[in-house]
Amino acid sequence: MTSSPSNLMIEARGVEKWYPNGYHALRGVDLTVHRGEVVVVMGPSGSGKSTFIRTFNALEDFQKGTIRIDGNSLGNDLRQIDAIRREVGMVFQQFNLFPHLTVLDNLVLAPTLVRGRPRAQVQAQALSLLDRVGIKEQAQKFPGQLSGGQQQRVAIARALCMEPRILLFDEPTSSLDPEMVREVLDVMRQLAHEDITMVVVTHEVKFAEQVADRVVLMAEGSVVEEAPPAQFFKNPKHERTRRFLDQIL
Amino acid sequence: MNLLLRRLRADLFATPADGALSLGLIALISAAAVGLVQWACQKAQWAVIQANSTLFAVGRYPEAQQWRLWLLTALLTAATGVSWGLLRSHPRADREGQLWPRNDRLVLGLLAAVALWVPWALRLAPALQSRWWLLAALLGASRWLAGRFGSHLSRPLLRLFPLVWPLLYLIGMVLISGGLGLMPVPPSQWGGLLLTLLTASFAILLCFPLGVLLALGRRSDLPLLRWSAVVYIEFIRGAPLITLLFLGQNILGFLLPGGLAPDRIWRAAWVLTFFAAAYLAEAVRSGLAAVPKGQAEAARSLGLSYPQTLVRVVLPQALRVALPAMVGQFISLFQDTTLLSLIGLLELLGVARTVMANPEFLGNNREVYLTLALLFWSCCAALGLGSRALEKRLDPQTLSQSASRP
Ligand SMILES: Nc1ncnc2c1ncn2[C@@H]1O[C@H](COP(=O)(O)OP(=O)(O)O)[C@@H](O)[C@H]1O
Ligand SMILES: [Mg+2]
Repeated sequence: MTSSPSNLMIEARGVEKWYPNGYHALRGVDLTVHRGEVVVVMGPSGSGKSTFIRTFNALEDFQKGTIRIDGNSLGNDLRQIDAIRREVGMVFQQFNLFPHLTVLDNLVLAPTLVRGRPRAQVQAQALSLLDRVGIKEQAQKFPGQLSGGQQQRVAIARALCMEPRILLFDEPTSSLDPEMVREVLDVMRQLAHEDITMVVVTHEVKFAEQVADRVVLMAEGSVVEEAPPAQFFKNPKHERTRRFLDQIL
Repeated sequence: MNLLLRRLRADLFATPADGALSLGLIALISAAAVGLVQWACQKAQWAVIQANSTLFAVGRYPEAQQWRLWLLTALLTAATGVSWGLLRSHPRADREGQLWPRNDRLVLGLLAAVALWVPWALRLAPALQSRWWLLAALLGASRWLAGRFGSHLSRPLLRLFPLVWPLLYLIGMVLISGGLGLMPVPPSQWGGLLLTLLTASFAILLCFPLGVLLALGRRSDLPLLRWSAVVYIEFIRGAPLITLLFLGQNILGFLLPGGLAPDRIWRAAWVLTFFAAAYLAEAVRSGLAAVPKGQAEAARSLGLSYPQTLVRVVLPQALRVALPAMVGQFISLFQDTTLLSLIGLLELLGVARTVMANPEFLGNNREVYLTLALLFWSCCAALGLGSRALEKRLDPQTLSQSASRP
């Protein structure tokens, strides 16, 4: 993949999407994310946050506008899409670990299959990643045998094992019991200090305040406000943002 | 002993009503068992089975060529033993495995007893009797060897091992039908259990990929593909197998490329295959529906292509879910082979009917049918046992409930 001279990792312009049933989910969304930035996306349920970040790795298509990922534009070219997906990792609300594979094999599958790397080498890397997220001892277990927090940490390690440049998080802590939210956020906090680019959909205000470079508010399928966290939470420009913050704080 | 009594009491006689029901059932079951044993030991004339055992086993397969079938049986036995042993010497990554669990010892002992007793009871020639003993010994030995030394095998070799089975199938076809320097034995001379197993295994092996493709077609985004699959599945499921068998005898000769269905037996085997594939497709479809959408999305977001996603992520889970239903299909397919006797093929039931029509064995129908039922039952029981073992091995959730949550 060619790296663009500018530091633009994600560049979305006027993105519009209609679902097959005619629902207008994205109504002209703009967003730019630079290399190494951490952008937190907030907004009421149903505002199109998931739909929007899922367009970045072509899990959703869109009908109008352009999206460029690290300089490559997302279109209908399937090979281009495969190339982009390799560079964009994703962590889901429901973990989506592969239940028929051991934790270790969950990590090893894609790098060996997609990048063709030797198994022994990937295994060593996978074990050190598992060590980093604090679950090396569980490598030979199956996902169903782990707690929710452990599963989500495995899912993060699995995405990292592909060495992506961009990591997308879609409400990674929303289906966790409260006592497990922290262990996942801690791992994400560590990641934020590295030069990986992160787009995180979450309602964890404290995480956003500490880690985000910018916070974005989406409502009714478009971006309403975009500001550094201090300004976003203390002094938002828009009435819509204020109303939203009143609800969640 | 005390414990056993208490257990019995809790299980059978907890309340007066339970006790009455248990006593009634025990009386009924023992009466039936005593009656059956009395009949089998005193009244039944087993000569009809003893005199025709070869006919039941292989039909009119030429005697001079039967060594090929023995060789094939020996190969299959060894492969079974090795697979079994490897399964035990390589327990799943997350489990402690025993090399010789109690059930394994039990099954092996039972098989050895059957291999010793049945040939003797059938009054087979001593040479044949000893062959069955050797086969039993071969099973035990290969099972032991693979269990003992299997852990030394390298991983790639181990992964390749399952390929032995399709290979054996091809070797078996050559051994049975001849060619490559062996004297050809035309299908018209195959019969009995040999023909039953051959058609059933042919149909089971081929209907599996066909059924998976049909199930995928039925879920496809391409309308033409989807509708073809739907029409095929619904047409086959709407027609009785026996009509399809007659129809197949008449039209398959034109439909399939020459050489694939040269005679009645192959045509019937293809019909069984096409028939079973439609039912299998429905089983696989329910399995596919059980795999959450997020699985494919996770695989795609990791960069796996569509075929890779299907083969490595979606299908393993779908087939695991569909396994019990699929084995149910295989078992009924196995029993459906008896319909071949209605189009004049001499599989087990066909052979049985010719035997019973022989004036020499008039009035021996009960013995013949009982034997047939036992043969079918043991084959289906083996299928069921195998699938249960597979299910247990493939189920990642079996431990999750009892696993300690930190
Ligand atoms: N497959 C779909 N078909 C039709 N409408 C959908 C589909 N998926 C989501 N939507 C609708 O699109 C809107 C945005 O959904 P989503 O992106 O999931 O919102 P968020 O993640 O912000 O909660 C919602 O109103 C939802 O009902
Ligand atoms: Mg969402």
